[in-house]
Parts: sequence; structure tokens; C-alpha cells
Amino acid sequence: MVIEWIAGVQPVVVGAVLVWASYFKLVASNAPAAARRSALSRLVGKERVVGAYRTVGAAELAVGALLLLPTSFVGASSAVVLTSGLVGYLGYARWKAPDSSCGCLGEKHAPVRWRSFARAGVLVAASVLALFAAAWWPVSLVDSPLASLLLVAELALVVTLSPELDHRWLIPLRRWRLRMAHPLGGQAFEVPLESTLEQLYKSDAYRGAVDRLRSEVLEHWDEDDWRILTYAAGAETAVFAVPLTEYSPTSVRVVFVPADADMMVG
Amino acid sequence: MDPLGRRNFLTRAVLGTTATVVGATTMGALAPEALAAPKLDVEAGAPDPNFVEGRITAIRGGMLMTTDLDRVINRIHMTKATSIWKLRPTTADAAKVGDGLYARGVRMPDGTLAADALWLNIVNLQVHITSIGRSVMHMDHNGERLVGHVVSGTTAAIYNGTPAVSDLSMLQVGKHAQVIGAWRPDTNEVDLATVYAAA
Repeated sequence: MVIEWIAGVQPVVVGAVLVWASYFKLVASNAPAAARRSALSRLVGKERVVGAYRTVGAAELAVGALLLLPTSFVGASSAVVLTSGLVGYLGYARWKAPDSSCGCLGEKHAPVRWRSFARAGVLVAASVLALFAAAWWPVSLVDSPLASLLLVAELALVVTLSPELDHRWLIPLRRWRLRMAHPLGGQAFEVPLESTLEQLYKSDAYRGAVDRLRSEVLEHWDEDDWRILTYAAGAETAVFAVPLTEYSPTSVRVVFVPADADMMVG
Repeated sequence: MDPLGRRNFLTRAVLGTTATVVGATTMGALAPEALAAPKLDVEAGAPDPNFVEGRITAIRGGMLMTTDLDRVINRIHMTKATSIWKLRPTTADAAKVGDGLYARGVRMPDGTLAADALWLNIVNLQVHITSIGRSVMHMDHNGERLVGHVVSGTTAAIYNGTPAVSDLSMLQVGKHAQVIGAWRPDTNEVDLATVYAAA
């Protein structure tokens, strides 16, 4: 029966995820710090959060073990309870402390977003399906070749829905894509204004005139090989000419012209 | 003088001169008052009277009404001698209600600020680049997601402190960057002016 081998594989998925989640909570040395940063501290208070964190880890380990051993019906029902509780915790965390880490799967800061809810939903669904498993999971894997495929696919789904694991696959994937064809390459070649300003600030013309300048760049335009910039200088306008395509601060020119007659009218 | 004619006049004025270092005699007549520093009657710890920050709440003619985080209301005069930055140097009609601003100028006796320089929606962010797409860069700023828009002709990159270039293809995902840009008010989107990164 189709449902049998599908259901038979689910205990592995949920069990593996739970055992893995419990590993960090119980074994890692920076688990207390992660616990204090997580939304759990809003729920139980900062003094009890480390104990609560370890208790959750122990519960996950116990339920995960029950799922992986041939006691899967008891394991599956406790998994349904535990994963439903996880969804409730995520909802609480999103409501009360939306920027805190969920603390579910490791020490990386992972704020509760749709991916966390989707992953929890997958675990609840898998736990419910696990209730229908008739045989121990290695039997299902051996009986049906598609079962192993389904197992791999489900675990991959859980990994893609885990923000804590992004640095292992998503970032390298994005970097590879940039190496293939960088989306920001191929822009038109322009000399940025920033580059012209750097040259201007290093020129004697600017340094001699800067005490009289009042404003930042008023206008700028390009004329042949020059970029012209205007600044306000009291009752006058300072006009600078900076070479556009070469770096030569000594060639920068400046002149002061009287401001327009209507310049001072607001 | 029409704008194009004025630009031609100014271009001829600056390119026609051979003086590069401006000597005292070529500076023209300077009234002594122009050189005297304005007297500042400010007690220690008080806010700088010649600087205003806030959000524009109203625009009346050439006057901006702004309110800052402490609910202080300021009135700012814009003139043609005021430089206005909104992603790039621009004109006074770029100011819109709801824009954030920094203004530097001179406080007038009637309490208004005559602005010399205005920066609209300018932001300076330390970010991590999370993803790069076509003309867009997604960034993480202290856990918040920001979207940076690349504006062709304006967005520049400064790699390792070398002079700015318009070639953005050396930006890498997962790396740190400092971004100067123009915030789009009330959104999480920023138009990128300069990206400082390590190449």
C-alpha cells in the first residue's frame, strides 16, 4: 500500500531532525548563550531559560529516539504533540519577540519567518503521517526503493527551510552564480561624481578656495574632457573644472564669478 | 540668463583662465565681515544651532518645515545657493514631504535656518550583502532585510579605498560593505550612491 511506505519513512525524517536539534541544545558549550538570545527567554524568563532549553533538548532527544526505535507509534504520537508545540512556540515568538532567534537548530541567529513556520508545518505533517506506519522504518526502506528517494527529498526540504544552514549551501550557491555571470557587470562606463570629488579635494585650487565655500556641490556637468562643478561662496559662485578622464589634480582650475542677481531670493 | 547660456558662460569663465592656484589678488574685493567667523552663543552640551535634522512635514515656497525625533520644529530656508543632495546633487524641487534631512547653514535672528547644504534621505549603513540580482542588491543590516537599488550612472563602488568606479561586478555575496545611499521613505528600500567594499 502506498500510504504504508510513505508513512514508514516519516519517523526517520522527524526523528533525525529532532535528534539533530537536541544535539546542540544538550552538548554544545555555547548552548546557554544561545538559549538566552532566543525567544525562549521571553517565555520562561532569563533565570530559567537554560534549564528550559536543556529540557526541550532532552525531550527532543527522547522523542527522536522513540521514533527511530521500533516503538514508532508511541514516538509518533509524542512527536505530533512536540511539533505542534513547536508551531505554537514559533507563533508566540513571532508575536512577542519578532527579532529574536528561535533557537531551534543551533546557535546561528535565525529570526522567526515564514521558513520556520513552513519547516514546523512539514514536521507536524510528517509526524501525523508517521502514526500510520505499520512496520519499522528500515523495513520500509528495504521494501520500496522509492522510500529512500522520498527520505532524501524530505530531508532536503527541511534543510532548505532552515535559515541556520544557509551558510552551508545557499551562500556558496549564490557565490557560484556570481562567478558564472555577475548581474551587476556590464554597466555603462561612467566616471562617478565621487571619483571627481576625490580628485578635486586633492587639488591646490580647491584647497586654496575651500575657506570661502559655503555649500556642497550645487551643479555639475561634463564639457569635453572636463567636469565643471559649482559651489556657492557667499556672494559669489565658485566654478571648478576637474579633468574627467585622467587623474591630474594639478590641472584643476577655479574661478569665482558673481552669483546671479536672483540667487539670494528664497 | 537661461540655464544653458549660464552654463556656457561659467564653462568659458573657468576654462579660459590659466590660474590654477587662486592668489589673494585674484579673489576680488572681500569685505572684512565676510571673513569674520560668526559669533556662536552656544553653551556646552546644547545642540548645534547651525545644524538641523528631521523629517520634512511641510513645504511652503522656499521654506521647509521639519520635525525631528525630539519633536523640535525647525524652519529651513532654501535658496539657489543651497546645495541639495538626494542620491546626487539636485535641485530644490526634489524635496518632498516625508523626506528625512540633514541641513547645515546659518541660524538667522528670526530662528529660521538659512541652509547652505541639505542632504535628503541620506543613510550610511554597515551591511552584509546577502544576494545580488539584476540592478538590485539585497543586504542584511543588523538582522533587517534591506533592498538596495542600483541606479545606473550614479551608483559607484570604492574597493579597498581606491578611487570610485562605476564597475560593481566585484561585489561579493556574504561579504561586509558600507553603503551610502538615499532611503526611500517608509520602506526598506535604498537607492545606492556609493558602496565601499573589499575586492
